[in-house]
Amino acid sequence: MRSLTQSLFVTALFAAALTTGLASPAAAQMELKIMAPAAPGGGWDQTARSMQQALNAEKLVKSSQVINVAGAGGAVGLAQFINGAKGDGNQIMVNGFVMVGALLLNKSPVTLDQVTPIARLTEEIEIVVVPANSPIKNAKDLAAALKENVARVTWAGGSAGGVDQITAALFAQAVGADASKVNYVAFSGGGESLAAILGGKVTAGISGWSEYEGQVKAGKLRAIGVTSEQRIPGVDIPTFKEQGVDLVIANWRSVMAPPGISAEQKKNLIELMDKLTKSAAWKEQLKQKGWDDAYISGDAFGAFLKKEIARVNDVLKSVGLVKS
Amino acid sequence: METRRADPAGIAFAIGLFALAGVIWWDLRSLQGATTYGIGPQAMPMVVTAGLVLLAIGNLVSALRGELPERESTDPRAVLLILGGFVALIALIGLGGGFILATAILFTTTSAAFGRKAIVKDFAIGFVLAVIIFLIFDKLLTLSLPAGPLERLL
Amino acid sequence: MEAFSLLGQGMLVALQPMNLLFALVGVFLGTAVGVLPGIGPALTVALLLPVTYKLDPAGSLIMFAGIYYGGMYGGSTTAILINTPGESASMATALEGNKMAKAGRGGPALATAAIGSFVAGTVATLGLTFLAPWLVEIAVKFGPEDYFALMCVAFITVSATFGDSPIRGLTSLFIGLTLGLVGIDKLTGQARLAFGVPELLDGVEVTTLAVGLFAIGEALYVASRRHHTEEKLEAIRGSLWMTRQDWKRSWAPWLRGTLFGFPIGALPAGGAEIPTFLSYSTERRLCKYPEEFGKGAIEGVAGPEAANNASAAGTLVPLLTLGLPTSATAAMMLAGFQQYGLNPGPLLFAEKPDLVWGLIASLFIANTMLLLLNLPLVGLWVKLLSIPQPWLYAGILVFATMGTIAAKPSVIELSMLAVFGVMGFMMRRFDFPIAPVVVGLILGPVAEVQLRRAMQISLGDPMVLLESPISATLLGVALIALVAPFVLRGLGRFKASGD
Repeated sequence: MRSLTQSLFVTALFAAALTTGLASPAAAQMELKIMAPAAPGGGWDQTARSMQQALNAEKLVKSSQVINVAGAGGAVGLAQFINGAKGDGNQIMVNGFVMVGALLLNKSPVTLDQVTPIARLTEEIEIVVVPANSPIKNAKDLAAALKENVARVTWAGGSAGGVDQITAALFAQAVGADASKVNYVAFSGGGESLAAILGGKVTAGISGWSEYEGQVKAGKLRAIGVTSEQRIPGVDIPTFKEQGVDLVIANWRSVMAPPGISAEQKKNLIELMDKLTKSAAWKEQLKQKGWDDAYISGDAFGAFLKKEIARVNDVLKSVGLVKS
Repeated sequence: METRRADPAGIAFAIGLFALAGVIWWDLRSLQGATTYGIGPQAMPMVVTAGLVLLAIGNLVSALRGELPERESTDPRAVLLILGGFVALIALIGLGGGFILATAILFTTTSAAFGRKAIVKDFAIGFVLAVIIFLIFDKLLTLSLPAGPLERLL
Repeated sequence: MEAFSLLGQGMLVALQPMNLLFALVGVFLGTAVGVLPGIGPALTVALLLPVTYKLDPAGSLIMFAGIYYGGMYGGSTTAILINTPGESASMATALEGNKMAKAGRGGPALATAAIGSFVAGTVATLGLTFLAPWLVEIAVKFGPEDYFALMCVAFITVSATFGDSPIRGLTSLFIGLTLGLVGIDKLTGQARLAFGVPELLDGVEVTTLAVGLFAIGEALYVASRRHHTEEKLEAIRGSLWMTRQDWKRSWAPWLRGTLFGFPIGALPAGGAEIPTFLSYSTERRLCKYPEEFGKGAIEGVAGPEAANNASAAGTLVPLLTLGLPTSATAAMMLAGFQQYGLNPGPLLFAEKPDLVWGLIASLFIANTMLLLLNLPLVGLWVKLLSIPQPWLYAGILVFATMGTIAAKPSVIELSMLAVFGVMGFMMRRFDFPIAPVVVGLILGPVAEVQLRRAMQISLGDPMVLLESPISATLLGVALIALVAPFVLRGLGRFKASGD
């Protein structure tokens, strides 16, 4: 046993030597717990850990801890958050657009109505691309192809019921094709779908802008359009809106508080988020990760959330993923 | 070698496989054929069900013929001790008893299953081991391990 | 050769004493965390990434490479010593490696794993350096139908792990396939065999199954029959180091393993498991001492270990050239690279050559450091086996559960671990092979999803499987592999009767 204990002890020393430089003495009073309802490494986890870093660096809280509760697109974490953190003003949970669809798809017994919306932090614009040698040049060509034979247009994107599939369905709806017949092929993550598009296996691909950015700039993929209101600054890709397709959508990430917290606690958390998003450390995190700032808080975010839930519900019903 | 005869354990196993196939079949009826194109989500469960039924028949035949390998007797006490440790571990973590206590108990019951009688000493070893693991992973590497009353003291 | 001079410059940076120290610390931390079963390289990198934040870019990149390789190797150590594969890719290593450790040959097993990883890592990193742009062109041509065909090849090779009864081997495989059905169907988002339990929607975690079947099942089995035979573990029998004979039997599997691992790892959906299985079954067929397989044949450790490490270098091909993270580990690495201002993608080699070559140099250095650190440690690791049996197994169970508790601390996940433990115990008692269960869980879902994707894209026309040249070739290989043993046996019989 001795050798094992010894080696663990040496590890501890090494790690201690390396991490002491990181922990900063605390100033503010809050001991914040941030739940990431996903495994380490994904988007929510990275958001939570970036928040943690910025909060610690700016000394906005006394301490902050990230807790990962993975499972079912966030439904497992959400259930635990609702039941375990009730009334606790020192806990927050990271989530986002994808959770809305996942909860509907999994027939989750807990819903987002049960938590207290705090703020939307970031968003990522969706982009539709085709292989560089495709005859499809713009949104109009894609719309024409869809209307001619909706089945023949194959779409590659992320997991079923996620933001990519919803974008595909909304595109079809917007151009007057049958959304329930959209031939959407779900891949696990942007990586695998990218290979299918580059290899010319599918007609079009959908993902977050950053996933395809390198390929588009290198000329290996042709961008058809982005789903934002305005063009992405410094990027010469038309929006769908300016091409006459009414499609605006973004993959947003947000922060929720537990149910049953007092108005005071809610105000504190919103103020904390105000300070966080204004801080230099947070802006540095956004730049590093390539996230767009999309900060809205409190009631404005609550109203936005309601609209998004209704929209996702409609789309998932129309494509037959959720039974009405 | 004694004459071969039907092996009850093997028969039970074959019945278990039949039951498993039944469960998959029952579950697959609730799936909608939502896919518009290609193969639906029911196809693979059907293949697996069919395979399980065939294998259940195969296993049944070989059990009836007594073809299962010979087995030595087992010590149920040892198995139950280890599993008891697991039940305690799961219960403690589920009820918020914390990582250290749960781990120390599993350590103790397992070493008892392997014939150790010095329960107090083993518990102490398991406890120290758990504390070291907890300090390294929870405190230094910020990997959150389930915390109970003990962990909050550290 | 421009590549050489750039690599040389990268090496000069990486070889500075401070950077060497960072590499050493990285490898050490990576190994220490990576040995925990259930905490694979991805989680190891995720946990340790913050440690590198405070260093300068060169230093942190090097430490990062060290953590990565250390995490990879940590999984094999537990697979060999305590029959607990730390991640799915070291399962094939456990099959022969643990048998070797039990026979007192843990030293040579760990050594061939370490040296094999080094050889494979080096060869594959060279491949990455010179072949990446060319290889990636082929890799993206792989469509769903081609992956399905590759899975067919892999399924045939699984039979190598069946033991002597095909019916029991197939039963194990189908139990694995059943477990593979659990969870959300990737293409339609519907739940299968989840019975309304949210924790089951993500399916059965491979490491939970492997740790349950191997580590816990084994502990239960050994404990239950202690009264028959006091299992005497001898930590060292014969030489602690590899003998001349061991070297002779290891070098070819190392190279063959690399040949499987690197190209398949470079495929966007290739993964690390399939090359390790392919390597295992190939070595089993080619081995001059087939009777040793299942009892601790060194080839069965050397090949899969090399394949595992080479595939890790392979995943860097799409990651660096396309910005395509093809595994959880690669996704973590991508996050790491971004930390250092490195944005993988088609323009990376042109825009930031110094950082790319610095990274590749770091990989070389980290790989060497891993070997230097682990060879001396082999003696220490093997001594773990001389811990008295009760404490050894108690410690194994603590570490086995610790991985699951850390990764998914839920009652359901832990209960699954215990149930799989009991399953492993029963299967050992009734002589069912264990490995096919895990293989079924890994390959089943992939094969299903790829076939369905192919059919969805072709609007239900099965001819795509034969129209794609890659798929047609692979299916041909699978067919030959399936039929060949029968034909050869037939020929043998024919010859025998002709004499």
